[in-house]
Amino acid sequence: MSIVTVQLGQCGNQIGFEVFNALFTDSQSSQGLCSKRENEAYQASCKERFFREEKGVPIARAVLVDMEPKVINHVLSKAAQSGQWKYSQHACFCQKQGSGNNWAYGYSVHGPKHEDSIMNLIQKEVEKCDSLNGFFIIMSIAGGTGSGLGAFLTQHLHDHYSNALKMNQIIWPYGTGEVIVQNYNSILTLSHLYRSSDALLIHENDTIHKICAKLMNIKQISFGDINQVLAHQLGSVFQPTYSVEGSFHYRRNPLGDLMENLVPHPEFKMLGVRNIPQMSENSLPYSTFTWAGLLKHLRQMLISNAKMEEGIDWQVRPPLPGLPPLGKMSQNREQHFNTSLANLVILRGKDVQNANLEGFKDPALYTSWLGPDEAFTVWKTQRAFSRYEKSAALVSNSQFFVKPLDTIVGKAWNMFASKEAWNYARVHGTPGPAPPQTPGGDSRVRPLLTTGLAAWGTVVRGRVSEVCAELSKQ
Amino acid sequence: MDGGAAAWTGAGPRTLPEAIATLSRSLPAGPSPEIFRRAKFDHPEAAPVLWRLLFRVLAPLRANCAAASLGRGAQARWVKVVLHYCGYPRPALAQLPEDGSQGSRELLLAFSWLLARVPLLEWLLSQTCVQLGDQVPTFECEALASPGLAAPQVDARRSVDLRRLQWLMGKLRFRWRSLICSQQEQCALLSKIHTYTHGCHSDQNLGHLSVTETEMLRDPEDSQQVRKGPEALRQMLGCPGSQALWLPADTLVQAEVPSLLALQLLRVLERENARLEAALEWRQCELIFWQWMDTVLGACPPEGPAVPTFLPRIPEHGCQELELVARELQALQEKLREQVLSRRQAWETQVGGLGHGPEWSAARQALQQTVEQELLALQRSWEQERGPSLTQGPHRLVKIKAGTAGAQGLPVAEVIRALRSQEASLEAMLCWLQGQCRQELARLAGAVPGLLWILPPGC
Repeated sequence: MSIVTVQLGQCGNQIGFEVFNALFTDSQSSQGLCSKRENEAYQASCKERFFREEKGVPIARAVLVDMEPKVINHVLSKAAQSGQWKYSQHACFCQKQGSGNNWAYGYSVHGPKHEDSIMNLIQKEVEKCDSLNGFFIIMSIAGGTGSGLGAFLTQHLHDHYSNALKMNQIIWPYGTGEVIVQNYNSILTLSHLYRSSDALLIHENDTIHKICAKLMNIKQISFGDINQVLAHQLGSVFQPTYSVEGSFHYRRNPLGDLMENLVPHPEFKMLGVRNIPQMSENSLPYSTFTWAGLLKHLRQMLISNAKMEEGIDWQVRPPLPGLPPLGKMSQNREQHFNTSLANLVILRGKDVQNANLEGFKDPALYTSWLGPDEAFTVWKTQRAFSRYEKSAALVSNSQFFVKPLDTIVGKAWNMFASKEAWNYARVHGTPGPAPPQTPGGDSRVRPLLTTGLAAWGTVVRGRVSEVCAELSKQ
Repeated sequence: MDGGAAAWTGAGPRTLPEAIATLSRSLPAGPSPEIFRRAKFDHPEAAPVLWRLLFRVLAPLRANCAAASLGRGAQARWVKVVLHYCGYPRPALAQLPEDGSQGSRELLLAFSWLLARVPLLEWLLSQTCVQLGDQVPTFECEALASPGLAAPQVDARRSVDLRRLQWLMGKLRFRWRSLICSQQEQCALLSKIHTYTHGCHSDQNLGHLSVTETEMLRDPEDSQQVRKGPEALRQMLGCPGSQALWLPADTLVQAEVPSLLALQLLRVLERENARLEAALEWRQCELIFWQWMDTVLGACPPEGPAVPTFLPRIPEHGCQELELVARELQALQEKLREQVLSRRQAWETQVGGLGHGPEWSAARQALQQTVEQELLALQRSWEQERGPSLTQGPHRLVKIKAGTAGAQGLPVAEVIRALRSQEASLEAMLCWLQGQCRQELARLAGAVPGLLWILPPGC
């Protein structure tokens, strides 16, 4: 079964290229540490998912969309230069003028104007699949084209391909912010995606940046570096794994299996990824890993909400059942404890059958209404991933994003409120605060913003009250 | 020596053991003639075999895997219940112990009753028939479509977390979508095979090969290449991946064990052929068996007033009942006619000269017309509802150009239309049920003051 990737905007196109490159390079790598037959099955499975063939050349199953031609041209030529795989020349859509970080422009102007052309391109790509597993939509949530147009297209994919699965790969903005309206844009994107997407796989720029600095030892971090780390993380999730343990048959429905295990609940769709190990190529030859060590770290990263291997808080422990709920000692610690709704652990590499995952099957890690039997899944393959003899990835539907969400919603509310105060002041002729630089004055964005905030507010409040309820039970 | 024994040792071209042996060969897991002989004399050692045989022929094929795990007692209970349901008249069967320790003669009688009463052999043979064509699964949701679903039993003492329910529901939705995805994939692959093999089939009406036929042609006896059955279809088209894929015959689905698909199929076909031949032979010599069965019945102790006479008859399902019903109907009609006549006379004398004016006759005419129209409409809707006979077993999937001369069978458009109408009725049912649930929820919510009910997204 195949996945059609839709790359949107500057961010989506740059990351998309890195993802395809990482997938292809890994599948062709001779360092898979497995038998020839197994390697071939792995390659074939990867190829079926993400590539098709045209005159013997692998072509990415992707549609590239941007409102400016620069980035698309760049990734097209980079793919062609790789000499290994290509993008289809006929699967690109670009215009002369971008959205200028204006979410409403992407959603209300570019979307309806170019809907037919873009959906047509997607349709053509879908027709080239024997079977469509779903869509992988790569976009930022804080920009203009990617987020605005992305929300618009996701909605339309939802309407046109109701049975295909839709996973949005979204990039969370830097906390310090490149764009003043990023919080507005993020809320608008999220509130729309929550209605039309099946799962949101979220990467935080801040986290990836830290990984580049601390784990990869990169001094001058470029977007290229960040995108490569991100592509590595995605590859470690979406490269093939066995459908049944020990069977050497590769999973054919990766998106469906992932979603069925992680996001069946309509209100909890946000997924975070954690990887271990992650290090620069130079230090890799000097490192050895054991499954016990890797999984111990990964588990602690999960329960303490650590973004990476370094700086894990080892004090955080799962709450013990039967302890008084308001013990002062434990309360402090438990507040840092990250409760999971569901987790998926993906193990790749040598002796994978010996890995012990009991640590992830502790009921204390999960909510009161979903036991580890249903909430925890593991995928495995003996085929090593991207030069790591052993590696593990965690896809988690947990409280990872409660704090970033609260921050974004808080900032957006403040901005919205001050904007309203300014409007009030203007109408009533009283001196008020200075007008913030937002597109809120645009008549197209105002109603969207109000409904977006209201809808998102409900979801976030629901999520926060959920967390509080869980905490008070323990 | 009675007649049966004479037949047993009989001269002539057809002896009783031979006749029983042919019957056994045409049955799945048929017992040996010796078992039948012992059952006549009610030897207990024949009982377990006959219980098994009865269970095997009565259990539906699809349920076999699950049913095989049933204990001996449960199997015996199953047999008793099904026979009772079929109208088996001898109460002695119901009194047999369920441990299978005795009662072989009763079981033999029951088996023979089934054999005489229903087209048992035909059923069994068609159930295990090897399908060479690509089949279209026909309607499988009849049971769902019927109204009056059991009301969910809610245990008020055990609280179910709503979030868990939502989770399970979401999971179900994802699985449903995956199922649709793989169905679509299967259709795409089938279509490819049908297109590639166009013009290959010896049967002009079919025009192309099925998956099974393609596989057999492609690889008739290549013993080097070991493949897994469900993978064959994908490999045939050069596709990677390996998840189980639907294949037509039940025997092929079992090909999970590495095996030669074609050779295995050949063996299955040979087996089926042998059973068909045995069934044909049986038809010619079954009279010997029935004569012998008469002596078995004669050997039974009398069973009270309701001992049925045991007559071998050509199994024509439901024919006798129909006659019975027809006779009853006729009698009822007669009665009705008499009653109507007497009533009418009484009424006419009562009304006397009234009601013969022009107004009266006009009103009567109008009434008659409306009744006729309504009757017509009802008839039409009845005919539409009946639709094409889609439920009559699976069909072979054949791709031919629209409008080809001499095309027979069931056009896809008709199937789609029937499926659409079924979908519509199912959706209406779903809507109705959802409405009921909503009302119930509203009632429950109304009973708790201060409770605010917010529907989750996507509902």
